Amino acid sequence: MKKLCLAVLGIVLLTGHAMASNLEYFKVYTPKQGMSADEIMNIEYFVKYTKFAHDASFYGKAYFIDKSGSVRERETTRLRITLGRKSDDIAYKDLVMFTAPAQVKGLATLTWTYMNPKKEQDTWLWVPSLKKIRKISAANADDSFMGSDFTNEDILTRRFEDEAYTLLREENFKGYHCDFTKKTYYQDAPCFVIEAKPKRSPWYYSKRILWVDKATGAGIYEEMYDPNGKLFKIIFKKFQVYNVNGKEYPAQELLEGKDLRTGHRTVITNEDIRFDIGIPEDQLTEQKLMQSRW
Amino acid sequence: MVKKEEVMKKSVFVVLFLLSSSFAFAEGQFDFSGYLKNEIGIRLQDFNGDLQKFKNIAEVAGEYTVKEDVVLFAKVKYWYDLMYDFRSQYDKGQDAMGHIQRTDWLRDCYLDYTNGAWFLRLGKQQVAWGQADGITVLDRVNPVDLSEYWLQDFVDMRIPLWMANVNYAPKLNSNLQILIIPDFEQSTSAPIGSPFTTYAYTRYDNWKESMKRIGGSVDENIYFPAKKFENSTFGLQWSDRIGDLAYTLNFLDGYYYSARNTTIGLGGVRFKVDRAFKRWQMYGSSFNKTFTNPGFMQGITLRGDLALYKHEPTYIGDPVTASAKEIKRWDNVFWLIGADRYVATNWLLSFQFAQYILDEAKAKDNTRPVQQQYPLNPFTYGPADQVENIFSLKVSTDFMNERLKPEVLWSFTDDNQGRISPKVTYEVKDNLWLTCGIHYFYGDLLDSNGQYREQGQFYTQLKYTF
Repeated sequence: MKKLCLAVLGIVLLTGHAMASNLEYFKVYTPKQGMSADEIMNIEYFVKYTKFAHDASFYGKAYFIDKSGSVRERETTRLRITLGRKSDDIAYKDLVMFTAPAQVKGLATLTWTYMNPKKEQDTWLWVPSLKKIRKISAANADDSFMGSDFTNEDILTRRFEDEAYTLLREENFKGYHCDFTKKTYYQDAPCFVIEAKPKRSPWYYSKRILWVDKATGAGIYEEMYDPNGKLFKIIFKKFQVYNVNGKEYPAQELLEGKDLRTGHRTVITNEDIRFDIGIPEDQLTEQKLMQSRW
Repeated sequence: MVKKEEVMKKSVFVVLFLLSSSFAFAEGQFDFSGYLKNEIGIRLQDFNGDLQKFKNIAEVAGEYTVKEDVVLFAKVKYWYDLMYDFRSQYDKGQDAMGHIQRTDWLRDCYLDYTNGAWFLRLGKQQVAWGQADGITVLDRVNPVDLSEYWLQDFVDMRIPLWMANVNYAPKLNSNLQILIIPDFEQSTSAPIGSPFTTYAYTRYDNWKESMKRIGGSVDENIYFPAKKFENSTFGLQWSDRIGDLAYTLNFLDGYYYSARNTTIGLGGVRFKVDRAFKRWQMYGSSFNKTFTNPGFMQGITLRGDLALYKHEPTYIGDPVTASAKEIKRWDNVFWLIGADRYVATNWLLSFQFAQYILDEAKAKDNTRPVQQQYPLNPFTYGPADQVENIFSLKVSTDFMNERLKPEVLWSFTDDNQGRISPKVTYEVKDNLWLTCGIHYFYGDLLDSNGQYREQGQFYTQLKYTF
């Protein structure tokens, strides 16, 4: 009987996930009043990975700021195409090219992310000092993303299926003052407040508390708690809505991550964001990466 | 003839440079960057301050986008190793190093043209084949500069060549590459008297000097391939995927970049040494695959190279006296498999195993005495195993948000010889990087790494980028 109950529970959970994950690519979704935590988070992930757009290009800058205020800077150009293709299971492809400073100029990573949540990404790295492409193992999810205060999981690999969600409350966000731009964002913005607990245990965090903007479905602010329940990191994201061919696409323009243990923080700005510009898929292949000049 | 060619190459570059400069202010069309670098190497043994290098390097690269599908790219580099001025013991090598400095300056100069499935890169360039890290199994398209053994970055070690690099992608994730290389440069080795002069070269030079001392002569001749189209190097690579396994098939036909010496006695203590380049072929394949699906292999990347070196010029002689007697054209095999994986968050472990398999353990049709029929290590003229097992292990990680990057490379063979190279790179500022490290060599004097067992090095590199 116990096994049967577990099986039924399993089917319910799986069905729930299947339903929750069943958002169609290339459509725009916003959360509605009365939606469950799962439904809201499913939209949040959809927005995070720009699954509404066929492709996107970003020019970005990353600032690494240590406790003393010393700033290091990186510049990148990023291309993404969304595929959601069942034949080879590819969800989307990303190409990140470093353009400055000169020491890292030319370094580029190509990543293919699969729809199967259990499947790891495929990653290729163009190494200018070798003039060669290297297939690399996917970095561990809890490793720092490009030396930032975000983990790989925060930026690239965390998926809807990795956590269990509870809707805590609905409230107007208190606002976030960004030290970098000296501006306050999202003051009094209506939000869903969601608790997300990782299914993997032990893991480097015990829970995240997220504020999801009701207007766009974007996760604008989150607090991360360590295994002892102590707040150790905060992440803020500022979204701008772009009108593309009559559709409203929310895009991340500013990210700020603060590690409260080290006092280190990272700011990523995305400028010159363009959607649905017809990036051909052959620009995001191993062969194309091999033709890099820098 | 050589001078005329040099003038032509320089003219091409100057025209490209002026063209680029004239458009320098066209917004978004011109891009450049470069660096200034100082490298100091100090001999580790006894740590008595012997300077092994004091190299200052300046490099500038520029890219000019003529239009969306046409891009010009050029990179120039100048370096000067003051060590050859500081220490009289290296005087003998100064001319040779000066030559490398003079000929090495144009690193890239090409035009890229893209049209649908076609991609052309025409001009002076490097082409890197294969998946091996630090070992050239398939990476044989360009000759190499071994003036610092295998210690430089590969981008600096490969000697670029003028070529047509034609690519056609018939379908997504596939590519056919055709290389036509009318240019020829020989691989360079460290000059006599420098820290990384090969043992074979040192012995040869000693022999030459001893002949001179007793009134003899050694007449050296080097025969480069005639400048004819049929003497070009031709290359072909097909790359594709089968599921999530990426593979290539490779073929290269050209002149071997290292001349092989043939010594002819002219009577008494008079000798003639003919240095000639032999034509050879390489047939090969490479693959890479990351295990992405759940299971015990998940997260591991496997990669490999396999090459058959057809007619590879191989020295035969007496390994005990380190004396080369003859060159055989053997069909040798070189293969490698590597595995990479991240562990404990951000520690990357990278392991490689390779085998270099000679056609024969001993020359069969040799009329020389038995002790002179063995294959030789080309660096030392010491013994070469028919099957040489080569291992390498690299461990790297980072601290302080990737500001501090330690790395250790240990490469070794089953003959108890190898190299251990730990290094640490620190990002002082965005544009200023400092690297400190050690190269420690061990093994028998007649082994590739063991020949440098007295040349262990502590080094620093300070790099300013712009």
